[in-house]
Amino acid sequence: MDDKMPKLTGKMQWQVLKRLLRYLIPHKKMMIIALVLLTLTVIGDLVGPYLIKIYIDDYLTLGYFPQSAIIALAAAYIFIQVSNVIISYFQLMTFQKLALKIIQTMRIDVFTKVQGLGMRYFDRTPAGSIVSRVTNDTEAIKDMFVSVLVGFVQSGFLVIGVYIAMFLINPQLALIATLLLPILGFIIYTYRKHSSVVYQDLRERLSQLNAKLAESLAGMGMIQAFRQEKRLRDEFSEINDKHFKAGRRNIKLDSLLLRPAIDLVYALAIILVLSYFGVTSFSNPVEVGVIYVFVTYIDRFFEPINQVMQRLSIFQQAIVAASRVFTLMDEKDMAPAQNDQPNAKIEQGKIEFRNLTFSYDGRQDVLKNISFTAEPGQTVALVGHTGSGKSSIINLLMRFYEYNNGDILIDGHSLKDFPMNELRKKMGLVLQDPFLFYGDIESNIRLHDKEMTSAQVRAAAEFVQADNFIEKLPERYQQKVTERGSTFSSGQRQLVAFARTMATDPKILILDEATANIDTETEVAIQTSLEKMRKGRTTIAIAHRLSTIQDAELILVLHQGEIVERGTHQELIRQKGLYHKMYQLQNGIVEEQMS
Amino acid sequence: MKVFLDLAWFFKERKWHYGLGIVMLLFVAFLSIISPRIIGEVVDAINEERLTPELLLQWLGLLAGAAVLMYILRYYWRMMIFGSAILLARRMRQTLFTHFSRMSPAFYQKRRVGDLMAHATNDLSAVQQTAGAGVLTLVDSLATGGFVIAAMAITINWKLTLIALLPMPLMVLSTSYYGRLLHKRFRFAQEAFSDLNDKSQESISGIKVIKTFGQEQEDTEDFKRLSQDVVDKNVHVAKVDSLFDPTISLIVGACFFLAISFGTQFILSEEMTIGDLVAFNTYLGLLVWPMLAFGWLFNIVERGRASYDRIQQLLSEPVDIDDRVGALEMKPEGKVTFAIDSFSFPGDERKALQNVHFTLDRGQTLGIVGRTGSGKTAILKLLLREFEGYEGHITYGQHDIRDYKKESLLEAIGYVPQDHFLFSTTIGLNVAFTNVKATQEEIERATKLAAIHDDITRFTEGYNTIVGERGVSLSGGQKQRISIARALMMQPELLILDDSLSAVDAKTEEAILEALKAERSDETTIITSHRLSAIQHAHQIIVMENGTIKEKGTHDELMALEGTYYEMYQLQQLESLVEQGGDHNG
Repeated sequence: MDDKMPKLTGKMQWQVLKRLLRYLIPHKKMMIIALVLLTLTVIGDLVGPYLIKIYIDDYLTLGYFPQSAIIALAAAYIFIQVSNVIISYFQLMTFQKLALKIIQTMRIDVFTKVQGLGMRYFDRTPAGSIVSRVTNDTEAIKDMFVSVLVGFVQSGFLVIGVYIAMFLINPQLALIATLLLPILGFIIYTYRKHSSVVYQDLRERLSQLNAKLAESLAGMGMIQAFRQEKRLRDEFSEINDKHFKAGRRNIKLDSLLLRPAIDLVYALAIILVLSYFGVTSFSNPVEVGVIYVFVTYIDRFFEPINQVMQRLSIFQQAIVAASRVFTLMDEKDMAPAQNDQPNAKIEQGKIEFRNLTFSYDGRQDVLKNISFTAEPGQTVALVGHTGSGKSSIINLLMRFYEYNNGDILIDGHSLKDFPMNELRKKMGLVLQDPFLFYGDIESNIRLHDKEMTSAQVRAAAEFVQADNFIEKLPERYQQKVTERGSTFSSGQRQLVAFARTMATDPKILILDEATANIDTETEVAIQTSLEKMRKGRTTIAIAHRLSTIQDAELILVLHQGEIVERGTHQELIRQKGLYHKMYQLQNGIVEEQMS
Repeated sequence: MKVFLDLAWFFKERKWHYGLGIVMLLFVAFLSIISPRIIGEVVDAINEERLTPELLLQWLGLLAGAAVLMYILRYYWRMMIFGSAILLARRMRQTLFTHFSRMSPAFYQKRRVGDLMAHATNDLSAVQQTAGAGVLTLVDSLATGGFVIAAMAITINWKLTLIALLPMPLMVLSTSYYGRLLHKRFRFAQEAFSDLNDKSQESISGIKVIKTFGQEQEDTEDFKRLSQDVVDKNVHVAKVDSLFDPTISLIVGACFFLAISFGTQFILSEEMTIGDLVAFNTYLGLLVWPMLAFGWLFNIVERGRASYDRIQQLLSEPVDIDDRVGALEMKPEGKVTFAIDSFSFPGDERKALQNVHFTLDRGQTLGIVGRTGSGKTAILKLLLREFEGYEGHITYGQHDIRDYKKESLLEAIGYVPQDHFLFSTTIGLNVAFTNVKATQEEIERATKLAAIHDDITRFTEGYNTIVGERGVSLSGGQKQRISIARALMMQPELLILDDSLSAVDAKTEEAILEALKAERSDETTIITSHRLSAIQHAHQIIVMENGTIKEKGTHDELMALEGTYYEMYQLQQLESLVEQGGDHNG
């Protein structure tokens, strides 16, 4: 739903534009430089033809050629041309740089915002659409800044410059030429009015076309199995046809109101100028150079107008993109906040859950009145099948979500009284699905910590016995990790994730055991490492394999958000309840795998 | 320019449109040389003080007439040429789609949807550009350029024309050079952008890890670095991009300078008038566009050719599973004999199936069980003729399945895949996928059999509820049951359920199986499943392991065997107990 084009009213569009322009404020200096350079180029553009006018009227028509004056005139012309070329190059560059800088600021703003959002937001928004906000939408805005706004300003300046020049040379004719403005205004208005419909329609047809294509490609297996190729072809053909018709309408509109129309007005302007001078010439002498300079100015005047018109549609798209970006920036679902001036420190690592009840959506409780204590150095294991609430306990302990009923205490202080940094530093979480980043092994262990030495990285890897496989890689710690580490087995990824956690030497360890199949050799390494890691650390572990947590000081069996059984392994086995069943079941699987 | 030859078939087909469009284009080019000439004439008349109101009116009338005519012609040639270009795009898009729809799963295993999409979008638009803007720039730059130069040389002064145009070739060279440079740098900028995109994608997918390690700020730093790279690469682009306008105005300025200085000589030697000079300069202005266009043309054509070649290459990919000559056009019916000695998926050396033989009488149900990768799905894929190239044979009714038309074979089979793929349309249309004209009763018959009717009526929009990203999100079990209803819609001779009850709870599963049993006593059914309860009732059960049959028989026979099947059964009994939270009494 997020990606659909919202219908924006004129007023909303204006607000979006205003908010966009606010990004210019920090770059005031650069903007002033760009505008000064622009003014210089416009003046240069206008003085050139005027020099030719002087030449025609004062010398050529009179057949009078004083050498020094002519040389001075030629030198001035060349000087202006050349310096204008240089200045306009820098002017164009400055504007482009300005646009790029603004977009960079905007991107960083969006990204920072995204980093600060709560997990809740990520749960309900597809990753693709967030990425799209950060990159594609800002890119659309960049196009607008570079080609539309800059074009607008440049044309605006040129148009004003041309008018000033014309007024200086011949106020009467300049006044007459003002008649052209309402005509141009009318064409632009009409074009905008229709194109916002026609062009929007074309965009929508295109996205329908692409959606249909993408879906058909993805579902081709189904389509073929049910022999619906012909029907899908027909459906695609229909959309294709509608897109084609929208395209035709667009071409029609462009042909009616863009270049051909503007060129028609241009001809009108020339007619106006010629008839003015023609009529004047019946009563007064007319300087030929003035005609020349006016004709040239009119040429100059129409160039930028044509360009801007061509790009009006980009403007429309950019406003829509910007409104989506701003919606994200105004998102209120932030990550949980800590209490004011939190200063508690984690010293012992005692964890206590007190009557905690929690719900993701405010309706259905996924945790009901959870209470337990993990003494420093102890291991508490959470077991239960999918949806029993194990992961929610970890999510709350990691402060991914805010809770309001009950409390979680570490060393006697509420979780909310610790600075976020302290929590992140002292608590290490190993996720079920270890996520590796693009880079190499070392960068995946170190992450962004610049102070960590290579020796520390190695030590961490050795500690979790990841070095065994890393040393066998051709590039060892510099071995490339491609997208999500797909070239490594899930066991290897798990070991790297262990090393990553151990490198920060946390006081509290939180483990979400991997469910994926892991080859036996790595499995052994993982189990030994886990044991080593847990030593001296308070550990909360989600265990899928009961065999790994038999030595836990406390095992909590969860069912539908409640703790239904608790005790040590021996106690629970003796109870012959749910835990006992699960244990039997898993041993069954083990036996079967061995057979 | 070779791409114009490649596209000759299309130009020929649309010869009237292109022909007329080009003629109009030429006419416009011719008309556009009138206005400078008139300006020149008026200037001269004023200068020589011989302008009369009649003369002025005559000139201006001509000017106005030409302008209006040009407007009309410009409108029509655009419709002719650009209209044809989008027609070409539509045609090629349809051809591509048709081709896609005929390619087998092996083709889709080799290629990513994103790449195929890129061909159908980016490459097509490059070809469209060539057939539209490409033709325009070619004709227009040659015609306008030619006419203007001719007008300058013939009606004004050929010597001055030669001199003033000296710098012009530089413009063609430089714009085409810049264009290529720009294209290259633009690619780098695109790469930087795509790095940034990957980075954002990764950060958002890995947000939990980032939060866990409290690395939000560091990660943002990294993002800043990459966004700086994007800026740098784009500045690199801007450096070339900003050269265009200044270069043009420098060269045009040089032309003007030459025209005026040498023009003065010719005026003094009375070879031309001041009005001629004014007209001449206006002509020079008219030359800017064709020269620019000529520079662009090379780039448009270059890109168009590469894209056209890529599309052609894709289209030349042969259809690998096709009907035999004289294939049977009849719906198969009867006994299924599956006798495969060996089969491997293309590009995979491992044997997916080895010595798999079974016979299934009409009206019987076959259950296939086994782990992921044991070969269950491979059996189904061969039955559906998604892959060929196996040793052995499969017969359905009297004939080998390869002797039927694929269309006819599939007409008999209702397939419910593992990954239930629903289309983003209404639930009703998803169920009526094979027969969009089906009545509501027919649809409901299928959904009731699949035990999904009640769920659907509970949605506010009922059968009109849209499925997919933009619609309601369905649970896995709901999707599976809709898929089943979709297959039941066609009342198939052979129903195949590929692990399609995995996300359905035990009670619903039983309801569906009962309904199928009652409804389909005369037709054949194949069910693969992890869960034994789904196949327990089957007439015949095979247990697959590593691509071969490990055990075979009815449920009772297999239980008596006390082998793999027996073990699986015991475990699953226990498992279902745990799922229900165990019986607390022990």
